[in-house]
Order: sequence, then C-alpha cells, then structure tokens
Amino acid sequence: MINKKALTSEAYLGLFLMLILAVLGIWAKGFYSINNVISLLNAYSYILIASIGMNMIIITSNIDVSTGALISVVCIVIAAFGKIGLPFGLLLPIAMLAGVILSTLNGLFITSLKIPAIVATLATTQIFQGVLPLVVEGSIYDLPASFTWLAFDAKLFGMIPLSLFMCLIVTVVFILFMRYSRFSKKLYAIGNNRTGARLSGINVNKTIVQTYAIAGALFGITAVIIATAGQRVTTTMGSGLEMTFIAAVVLGGTNTAGGSGRIFGTVIGALILAVIAPAINYLGISPNWSDAIKGTIIIVSVVVSTAKYRKRKRKLCMSAE
Amino acid sequence: MNGKRKILKFTFNKALFGIWILIFAAIALKNPSFLSAPYIINVMLRNIVEIAIVALPMTLIIITGGIDLSVGNIMVLAAMLGGISAPFLGAGGAIMITLFTGLVCGFVNGILIAKIKISPMVATLATMFLFLGLGRGISKGGSIYSYGFSEFMGNTSIAGIPLQIWLFLLLAALFVVILSRSILGRALYGIGLNSDAVRYAGINTEKILIGIYTVCGLMCGLVAFIWLGRFTSIKYDAGIGFNMKVITIVVLGGTSINGGIGDMKGTILGTLIIATLNSGLTVLNIPIDIQTIVQGSVLIIALISYAIINERTKRKTVVKINEKEELI
Amino acid sequence: MRKRNLKKCMAALLLGALLVPSLLGCSKTDTTVKTGVDSKTEESGKKEVIVAMLPKFKGENYFDACKIGAEEAADELGITLFYDGPSQDQATNQKQVDILEGWIAQKVNVIIVSPNDPTAIAPTLKKAQAAGIKVVTFDADAQEDARDLFVNQITAEAAAKGLLDAAARDLKEKGYGDSQKANIALVSSSGTDANQTAWQAAMNELLATDAYKFMVIKNEETDVYFPGTDETKVNSECATLISRMGEGEDKIQAAIGLSSMATPALGAQYQSASSKPNKDKVSLTGLATPNALKTYIKDEGNPLNTGVLWNCMDLGYLAVQSGYQLVTGDITSDSSSIEAGRLGKKEIHDKMCVLGDALVFDVTTVDGFDY
Repeated sequence: MINKKALTSEAYLGLFLMLILAVLGIWAKGFYSINNVISLLNAYSYILIASIGMNMIIITSNIDVSTGALISVVCIVIAAFGKIGLPFGLLLPIAMLAGVILSTLNGLFITSLKIPAIVATLATTQIFQGVLPLVVEGSIYDLPASFTWLAFDAKLFGMIPLSLFMCLIVTVVFILFMRYSRFSKKLYAIGNNRTGARLSGINVNKTIVQTYAIAGALFGITAVIIATAGQRVTTTMGSGLEMTFIAAVVLGGTNTAGGSGRIFGTVIGALILAVIAPAINYLGISPNWSDAIKGTIIIVSVVVSTAKYRKRKRKLCMSAE
Repeated sequence: MNGKRKILKFTFNKALFGIWILIFAAIALKNPSFLSAPYIINVMLRNIVEIAIVALPMTLIIITGGIDLSVGNIMVLAAMLGGISAPFLGAGGAIMITLFTGLVCGFVNGILIAKIKISPMVATLATMFLFLGLGRGISKGGSIYSYGFSEFMGNTSIAGIPLQIWLFLLLAALFVVILSRSILGRALYGIGLNSDAVRYAGINTEKILIGIYTVCGLMCGLVAFIWLGRFTSIKYDAGIGFNMKVITIVVLGGTSINGGIGDMKGTILGTLIIATLNSGLTVLNIPIDIQTIVQGSVLIIALISYAIINERTKRKTVVKINEKEELI
Repeated sequence: MRKRNLKKCMAALLLGALLVPSLLGCSKTDTTVKTGVDSKTEESGKKEVIVAMLPKFKGENYFDACKIGAEEAADELGITLFYDGPSQDQATNQKQVDILEGWIAQKVNVIIVSPNDPTAIAPTLKKAQAAGIKVVTFDADAQEDARDLFVNQITAEAAAKGLLDAAARDLKEKGYGDSQKANIALVSSSGTDANQTAWQAAMNELLATDAYKFMVIKNEETDVYFPGTDETKVNSECATLISRMGEGEDKIQAAIGLSSMATPALGAQYQSASSKPNKDKVSLTGLATPNALKTYIKDEGNPLNTGVLWNCMDLGYLAVQSGYQLVTGDITSDSSSIEAGRLGKKEIHDKMCVLGDALVFDVTTVDGFDY
C-alpha cells in the first residue's frame, strides 16, 4: 500500500512536469526546436548525473554541500591534463578518480570523526575553494581541440551529444542498482535507523564512505561535462551547483532526513530544474525571475509531499491503533 | 577537590579566548600596522558586524537542532525593498518595510518548519532560492543604492566607535541573557535534545520555533541597513555565501549542529576569531583565496577537537555507568 | 560533569596549539608564492612606490593580459606591484571593497582599479584619497569625483561603433540590410559594470541612426543577457541564445558579446550545438582577446568571424605608468598629456586618458597577436 502511495507522489511530479511542457508547447514558440531541446538536455545531463550521487548520499541521511567546490577542483585537474593534450578517453577516468578521492575524504572525515555531514562538508568546501587559486590563477585557457571534443564533436548519429548518452547509461544503471542491489538496501537501512542498521550487522561507516566514493565518481563525470563546454576552465566552474543538486533531489521527493527516495524522482526533479531557465527565456520573461520561480516550485512541491507524508503517517498510526 | 575546581573553571570559552589572543598576537607580530586602533575598530570589527549580529539568533536556531540557510538572502531582499521604497515613502516607510520584510521572511520559515514540519534545511533551502529570486526579479538584476537612514546606520560613529558595533554589543548582551538566564533559553536546549519531551512538559514548541525564526528574519532586516550603508549598494547576489559564514562562526563557537549543545559566548568568541583572521590576513597581504583555506582549516581543527572531546566524554560517561553498575 | 570540562579545556588548548602554527604556516607558504614582489620590497627599502592593482576579477585572458602590461611597467619603473582581485564567481563590489580596505590600511601609494560597480565603490575610493593614496581607474570607470584619473581603453562611442560595424559588415555579407531586418541580441556582463552599460547605451543610440537601422533589439528583457562573470552560467545562457538563433522573424540573427567571457562562450556553444543554425544566415561577434577566439575564427563552419578589442597589455602598462607619475608628481589630474614610456605621448582630457581605437581582428590577422 505504501508502495502505491509513493508511486503516486512521483506521478504527481510527473504530471506537473507534463503540464509545464504542455504550457511551453503552446506559448513558447520554438521551444521544441531540436537545437533547444538538445542544449537543454545537455545541461540536464550534468545536473542529473551529480544529483543521482547526491541522492545516494541523502538517502543515508547525510549531505554534501562541498559538491560545487569539488567539481571546480576536478574541472581544473582535468583542464591541466587536457592542456597537455590528453584525449577524452583518459580525461574521464582521471576526473572520476579525482572525484572519488576528494569525495572519499569527505566520507572519511564524516565517519571517522563523527562530525555531522553538513558541517564537515562545509569545512571541506572552504579547503577545496581555497586550494585552487594556489595552483592556478583564475583559469586555464586556450585549451586544445582534444579537450573540447566532448562538447564540440562527440555526437551520436551526428545529433545526440555523447554527454546525454552518458547520462542515460548512468541513470539506467543506477535505477537498477538502487532497486536490486544489496548495497542499496544497506543505504536505506542506514538512513532509516543508523543504530538499527549497525545492530543488524551492517558496517555503517564503511558503507557511508563507499557511498561518498560512488557519488564522487558521478561528480567527476559531471565535472567533465561542465569543464569541456569551452576552451576555458575557471576555478569556479562548479560553485553554487550543490544547491541545484540538492534542490533536484528534494524536488524528486527524497526526504533529507534519509531513508527514503528514489532515483526516478530525482530524474524528474532535475528535469524540472533544467527546464526553468531556458523556458522563461522562451516565454519572454526576464531571466531575473528564474530563481524566484525555482524557489516557488521547490516550496510548493515540498509542502505538498510533506503534507501527504504526514497524512499517510497519521493513517498508519490510526490503523495500527 | 577544591583546587581541582579552580582549574575546572577554566572553561572551553576561555580556551577559545586564548586562541583568539594567540592569533591576534601572531598577526600583530608579523605586521604591526594591524595593531592600530582605527584599523581594529573601523575595519576588523566593522566588517564582521553583519555576520556577527545574524549569528546571535542563528545560535538559538542551531541549538534547537534547526538551521537557517536563507539568512543572507533575507537580508538582501529586505535591503532592496527598503531601498526601492525610500524615495517614495521616505526614511520612516523604508525602515518599516525593511524590518517588516525581514520579519515576514523569518515568519514564513518558521511556519514551514514548525507547522508544516518540513525539515529546517529543506525549508530554508527552498526559501533561500525564493528570496534570492524575488530580490533578483524586483531589482531586475541591478544595484539598489543606499539612502539617508541606511547611510546613517552604516557610517555613523558614536564616541569613536561605529554605531553598528554598539548595536551588536547591545544585542549580544540581550541574547546572552536570553539563552543562559531565561526559561526560553532552557526550552531551546530542551527542544534540541528532545523536542517531544519538551512538548509533553507543556511547552508550546511550535510557537517557540516560529518565534526564533522570526527573530532571525528580523535581525536580517536590521543588518540590511548596515550592509547597505557600508557598501552603499546591494545586488541580488550579495547574500550568497553569507549563510555559510554565519554557520561557520556558530559552529566554531562550540554549538553542536545536532542541537542541544551550545553557548552564546562561544559564538561571540568565534566571531572575534574569524574577524581577526579575515582582517589580519588582509593586512599580511595574503590573497583573498588563501583566507578561505585558513578559515576552512580553523573550522576543521575546531570540529576535530570537538569530536575528540565528545568521544572522550561519552566514553567517560559509559565508564561511569559501568562503575555504578559494578557497585550495584 | 566537571571532569568533562577539564577534558574540554585540554582539548581546546590542543586546538590552540594546532591552530597557530597552521596559521603561520599558511602565511609562510604564501610569501614564497609571492616572492617576486616581496623580495623586491626588502631589497630597496620601504620608501619605494607601491602600486596596487585591482581587476574586476582574476584569472581570465583579458585581465591577465592587462597584468602582463602592468608588470612590464612596474619592472621598467622599478616599483612594487600588488595584484589581487575577486575570483570570477564573486566579482562583486563587496569583495573589491574588502581588498581595497586592506590596501588602504597598508598605505600603498597608488590604487589602480577596474570597478564592478561605479557608484558603490566610490566611498571606499574617496577614503583612499583621504588617506593620501592616488586613485586611478582603468578598464571601467568609477564615479568621476572618486578618482584622480581614468585610463580608458576606448571611448564608449568608438567601442559601440566597432562592435556594431563588425556585426553589420558580417550581416550585410549574409544578405541582410534595409530590405531585410536582422534581430540582434547582446550578451553583457553583470548589469552594473560602467563600461558595458556605457557601450550598450552608445549602441542603442547608434541603432537608431539610419546606417544601423536594419539591426533591431526586439525585446530588451529577453534579448539582452546578463549572465554575470561565472563561466558555467555564461555558457548555459549562451547555449540558450544560440538555440534561439536562425532565420525568421521570431529568431535572432546576430549575437554580440560585450564581455571577454561572453564572446568565446558564444563561439563554443555554437560549436557544440547539435543542429547548428545556418552559418550563412547568422552572425556572431564581440569583444574578446584574440587567443580566446582563435579556434572559432579559424573554423570555417563557425559564424564567429571577427573579434573586437584593444591592446590589453598596453592598457595595463598605461595604467601603471600614469599611476606612478601621479605619485612622483610628473602629472596631475589637470595635466593635458602624459609621456607614457614606450607608448609615447597620450592626451588627457577631463581627467581621462584614452588608449586608442578599437582593434578588429579576423582570420587573416588573428595569428599576429599573442594574448
């Protein structure tokens, strides 16, 4: 029964998305041009990939506010390698590795010292942000064509960007992974009841560090897509993005208290966020209103999902009585 | 036992105080121009005052186990609405509107958290986007400029000390009293430790929560004047990162992000440490980015030491219980 | 309970012991980073002239080129140059004021600044002047009464004309003109910068004249973009703009980048678009350093064929030269000209020194530059 309810909550979100898309179809002339859809989906792909990582972290009842800074670091790392002409095939694993290392540091910091995730990652944010300017002054620019290959040339069937394809693979893999793997069961267990999970034999700390490591790999992929968008990589490529990722996860119905949430919700949540900015430009609204619209949508969806959650809880309590 | 007691009075806050003195001395030794009174008062303290004032109610919020990520954007929105209305409504109207905006924004946060029971982080994350977006939309992305009253708030000195520092001292005293000497203060700790227990004890926790978030919003409205006066203009993105600076100070001051533990005096000392670091590193001509690292390191070291303390005290308590059990 | 306190304060002491060395350690590492500057100060004693330069933000081709010129002038004059600025995502007035206050406290001799907000920075600059510091603005101006001299790279009229000419030439080649109007879009910076604002105003004036009438900004709200200075944001807004380009009334035919970040982003986003608007029907141009545009200009398939700029290195050089000469008294605000080293004589009008005209580069000339 709970399953059914949870499904409808995502269905609501899906309906809402359909509504937005329908409105755009009617009023925003040219919104559905192939070019716009593809460029929208390109932005969507990097938001979604990182949001999936964020989702896993949040399911364990942790959070990562350093993601933006972490992505900036990874961007600069691969730009440094890209400058000497390494091809995409090497840049991607390097980025993922860098993401894993940095994110694992976060995980270790949180678990070994028992520091709440939000404060721990707040501190590492400052370290990540501060380290970059020591190494590079502002940006690495005039990057070679091998670096921008992903954005400029990598098109499947001369049309679909490779980044979108990567996003599709990641999404499918993780939807299956979160549904069927034993590892994912551990995540939900930890998020629901940490002590309970430990008593039932789960190595909580190890699992959390592993979660951060996996998320780090996903952040690395996002960093590659962001960094290779142009010939210049600055030290602030990712700054502020963490809030977008968290918003996508929350919008997708995942409770920040942990223990619940599905990847599919995040898939829709991220799409809504990715649509807003271009949509209002096409609708002829000043881009200055985009953040306000974003905020309103998040608030409404959170209020609705919380209200439903409480109702369900009350019902459960009553039926139990 | 008596002798021990004296040593024990050397509390954590005093240790924080010692650290502050050490940092202060180290910077002054490296560059004596730091030690000039005008610099310390007019730059070091004046620059931190906005963050410091918001850190006071934030300490209350974090003690209840909550958090408010929207503070910086409340401040910006309040400053903007005030600045826009000043030419039409005059100073009085602008003051009312600024404070009222802060109040309403804080109240909205409080309602979302206490009544609708959205977790504080999610609720204020959402309102953060909303307030930021409203500020951006209303100002059309441009700057809003200072007016008479904010000019006064940002740039007046009384007895050689800027008005906003007097204001901070007053508020700090008030908040110290509220937290450590009032029933409300005790209720806040209670909510942080065990909200249900406090509610069953007959205290209206919802009211208290809405109250402190509203106060926090009001304080953001207050610092809006100071900020606008000090920088003479404000843009919608001015509040980004402000929340994290405030939280850094509160956490550095020894308040646990999980709630239930914390001290207003610690927050004030945390403010002084960060202020000294910020201005001191600028005087040492250390680029602005490296200051971020130093701040981050300070926070990490503080977190690690808190973690060690907590671990030890926990072990101690467990040992004690075991001892008792053995006695029984 | 009390024992807990003991533990607490011991840990706190430990914290203190850890903290101070880490702080000193950090400051040490930094001096080694900046040795070039510091050792010089020590060698020639303290009475030396210190010039402090503050760009809108650090680390981007444009301001890096300015910095190279500034360093050249500083070496030539044997003076110390401080160079610091906000990072790109924080190119705001507050950050600039923070940095300036540090410099004022250190009593530097000259402050050379490119303000993010001309009005907002004025009080701080006046404070510097009151402390006996000479204030020079370069690249973008501040309020006139808050600085001693403005080293302007180009007059707003010349910049606007250079940009519109580049776009008009390209559009005319592609068949637009009085019989077929073209919609244009601008990608500006953050909306408060003095230079972009002035250029846009000058462009609007020019667009009203007959020669440029065929180019129209249809909707100021949506066709003038203000993505700020954050790279990721600039890229994503340019991507949206590129997808709106193409033939037809409701599409946009030409995009002009008003900042050195926006123009390369336009080129890059065109390059990465999946179904590109017909390159023979749309036009891209704008301000940027030649290096940043090289790839796109040389690419036959990219409609970005020309870029507009001035010599950034000369701009930095001239700014430092004039700042130094203000201190030595070789020039004052009222002087009518300055003997600026290798640049020769430059005229000064109304406390403003203009570097020169716009420099338009295309596929034939782009290789001649290296910045």
